[in-house]
Amino acid sequence: MSLRSRESLIFDRSVPGKIGLDLPKLDVPEAKDLRPAKLKRSGFDALPSCTEPEVIRHFTRLSKDNYGVDDGLYPLGSCTMKHNPRLNEKVAALPGFAESHPMAGDSLIQGNLELLYTLQEWLKEVTGLDAVTLQPSAGAAGELTGVLLIRAYHLSHGRKRKVILIPDAAHGTNPATAAMAGYEVVDIASGADGTVSFEDVTDPVSGKVKQGFLSLVAEYKEDIAGLMITNPNTLGIFEYRIKDICDAIHAVGGLVYMDGANMNALVGVARPGDFGVDVMHMNLHKTMSTPHGGGGPGAGPVACRKVLEPFLPRPVVVRETAKVGEGEVPHHTYRWDWDRPHSIGKVHTYFGNFGMLVRALTYCTSHGGDGLRTATLRAIVNANYIRKELEGVYHLPVTSPSMHEVVFNDAIQAKKDVHTLDIAKRLIDYGFHPPTVYFPMVVSGALMIEPTESEGKDELDAFIHAMKEIARETEENPDLLHQAPVTAPLRRLDETTAARKPILRWVKA
Amino acid sequence: MRYLPSAPGEDRALLDAIGVKTPEELLKGVPAELLLNRPLDLPPTSSELEVLRDLERLAEKNARFRTRFLGAGAYAHFIPTAIDMQVGRQEWFTAYTPYQPEISQGTLQHIFEYQTIICDLTGLDVTNASLYDGGTACLEAALMAVRVQKKRSKVLVSAGLHPHYREVMRSGFASHEGLELVEVALNDGVTDPSDLAAKLDDTVAAVLVGYPNFLGSVENLSVLSETVHAKGALLISVTMESLVFGWLEAPGKLGTDIACGEAMSFGNKTTFGGPFLGFIAVKDAHKREIPGRVVGQTKDLEGRTGFVLTLTAREQHIRRDKATSNICSNQGLIALRANMFLQLAGPEGLAGLAAQNVAKAQYLRTRLLELPDWKAVNDRLFFNEFVLEYTGDWKAAETALHAEGILPGLDLTPYGFPNQILWCATEINTRHQIEHLIEVLARVASVVG
Repeated sequence: MSLRSRESLIFDRSVPGKIGLDLPKLDVPEAKDLRPAKLKRSGFDALPSCTEPEVIRHFTRLSKDNYGVDDGLYPLGSCTMKHNPRLNEKVAALPGFAESHPMAGDSLIQGNLELLYTLQEWLKEVTGLDAVTLQPSAGAAGELTGVLLIRAYHLSHGRKRKVILIPDAAHGTNPATAAMAGYEVVDIASGADGTVSFEDVTDPVSGKVKQGFLSLVAEYKEDIAGLMITNPNTLGIFEYRIKDICDAIHAVGGLVYMDGANMNALVGVARPGDFGVDVMHMNLHKTMSTPHGGGGPGAGPVACRKVLEPFLPRPVVVRETAKVGEGEVPHHTYRWDWDRPHSIGKVHTYFGNFGMLVRALTYCTSHGGDGLRTATLRAIVNANYIRKELEGVYHLPVTSPSMHEVVFNDAIQAKKDVHTLDIAKRLIDYGFHPPTVYFPMVVSGALMIEPTESEGKDELDAFIHAMKEIARETEENPDLLHQAPVTAPLRRLDETTAARKPILRWVKA
Repeated sequence: MRYLPSAPGEDRALLDAIGVKTPEELLKGVPAELLLNRPLDLPPTSSELEVLRDLERLAEKNARFRTRFLGAGAYAHFIPTAIDMQVGRQEWFTAYTPYQPEISQGTLQHIFEYQTIICDLTGLDVTNASLYDGGTACLEAALMAVRVQKKRSKVLVSAGLHPHYREVMRSGFASHEGLELVEVALNDGVTDPSDLAAKLDDTVAAVLVGYPNFLGSVENLSVLSETVHAKGALLISVTMESLVFGWLEAPGKLGTDIACGEAMSFGNKTTFGGPFLGFIAVKDAHKREIPGRVVGQTKDLEGRTGFVLTLTAREQHIRRDKATSNICSNQGLIALRANMFLQLAGPEGLAGLAAQNVAKAQYLRTRLLELPDWKAVNDRLFFNEFVLEYTGDWKAAETALHAEGILPGLDLTPYGFPNQILWCATEINTRHQIEHLIEVLARVASVVG
């Protein structure tokens, strides 16, 4: 963290005449100015004039107000903030990859095509599915791709289906995606064990009945295009009836989409293809450790069964093997197949966030099949260790077995008027990034903790100690928590005014 | 495994504390028949040295070119050294979306500054933290226009947009029943005014045109905006080469309602097409319909200025199926590169870079037209890309150029422009490189001739 006061906006420091990027002398004749007067750039109102050291210092100071994975445990549940290996960055920056051009002919990009093909093979084996597209830019783009595949499949069978079933514990992108693809979203109730409820659920307070899985399937039957389900779900719990759910959806002719946001709990341990899932995405920025970059870029490949393969976004990478003599190493060549008459088209301008795919393959080959499984198991051990140590100190609203993350809430602390937000903010004072808060929404005041496999016992213990201290402070001096954070660069920020009277850019005074 | 904290003593201590003998016991929530009962059929763990060696070998299987004249949406520009070193700071690249503003002010303030600069470049009021890329930005802009123009369901798209951008839009529109995407033809390198007039009726929500378009031609936005607004539609300008904003007037000042496109040119390599940097900028009146993350300025408890994610009531995590888009992540790190590039360049640097691009492209075009087998196809205003017709054997020319370490322009034959080549020259192309290109092409011509 910075020792200085907050860094001011760069615009307040601009001094006309300064420059941080200079150019060689022009070695061709000056251009003829053919622009009509109206189209000539009239100037800039904000773009600052600064030198290189000024700009570097500006960004360096700003960076010190950020918390990164290398600062310490980053227990954002569902976000999977694991270590970002430096090798992955180095490989992605190799000029052979970084300078390759998306419109170059196939013969010039054999390395890229082989890399994409190889990554697809890894993801096929990990998911137990038959085909993969690497084009979607992020998880949400992967979801949309998957739902569009489902839609294309139904249309190819002459079926117009209207409804997608989604558990109420789902991430907001699921219903947003289904709506974007033109479907009506129907919520499925969660049961007391945190998984999809097969029976209808009556709210003990309001007396309202929320429909469970079985009655929804019975009601919507042939209107069901599919179901979107996160497994393990957003509570970090494995949907143990996943096979029954898939069977029931298949029985009415629907397809099952699995949101693979939590696939890092399954890699090497269990495969969605074996559960009956038809199509899914994986977040490579979670499971395969490509860096989050303060919000992106991500990568959200989609894996699917053979029946959906014809609809995959185009182009599709194809491997061709030249015939060789006995005992010789076969020679492979790769090409883009654009001739895909049933394709849903493109979901990215080119072939996806290639630089992220390079990092993901580097992660995969570093770990190997055995390392991937070890990582999964360690992530589960770490989450369960935190659960064990904090259970009772914090309320555990759902007690089903935890996979890679555990969800507590503020029920115990709320008695002292200390709430989830206070606990989260106080953690900042203890030097940790807070967990994911108030999600999933099916748990009131949720604190969703995901330590990942990267953490050793020391760091886990330090986090547990901080959480216990906060619980103690709640009893002894709750106001301390209302004030938190006090050691961060800023205190709590006024988000209400920010939304009500938005200031979305700097304007010259 | 070098990334995993496994050590026998520590593993045991964790398992003992939990009360299990093996990690596998913790899988009790997964029905036994669903567990994978064999190891993954994948290669084993590899050392850093081995992985690097293997992937270097793979990278070398791509052809590398000392000289490049290929753009078509992915531009090779100079990248100041300071950018890589700054973005390599873990505080930037390992951090998550800034949900906890107290310890994310670095990312939030950077995005606020980035938003300010994008608004400045485009001449519009509000932008977001970025979108995936140029093609998906076009789709988001078109869908936003339909939301704003409630009773209008048709979007016109100029055939002058990158064919991949148009395909991304078609895929996105396919699932929206009742929405229609219609192409407007080109004439003489720009959107055909008579075809536009014929298709522009009161069901049209918006019209998308390139600025410049895929063929490099600069569309006249001020004329188009009058035509489009006269029918009550919105004008959306699409820019693939954002360096043009150092040379051409901001689209917002020419009547554009939404400016969108690709900003990879600011500090990013071509990276096989991604990760790139989609942008969308809109008028203040439409700010609550913009997709994606937006950062706003506010105060903390002690009255100090700070920044937060805002206008979240539009987004999927609040609105679920009523959200403006399903988008969740953005291109954060790529936006950081662009922001730093633009702050280094400043107004003078940006204008200087743009001017060099125009000069190099004009020189390249002049030199090519001096060769016998190159013909002009239009006389439109262009920035750093233009199209010429080639009357020789392009495959032979391309092979000869590759052999000389030159990546030439794009053959547009597969995109409906037979024998037309799309050339690009930027500040990184030297006069020497251009002369070398001309020399090889002249040699090819004389061999064939």
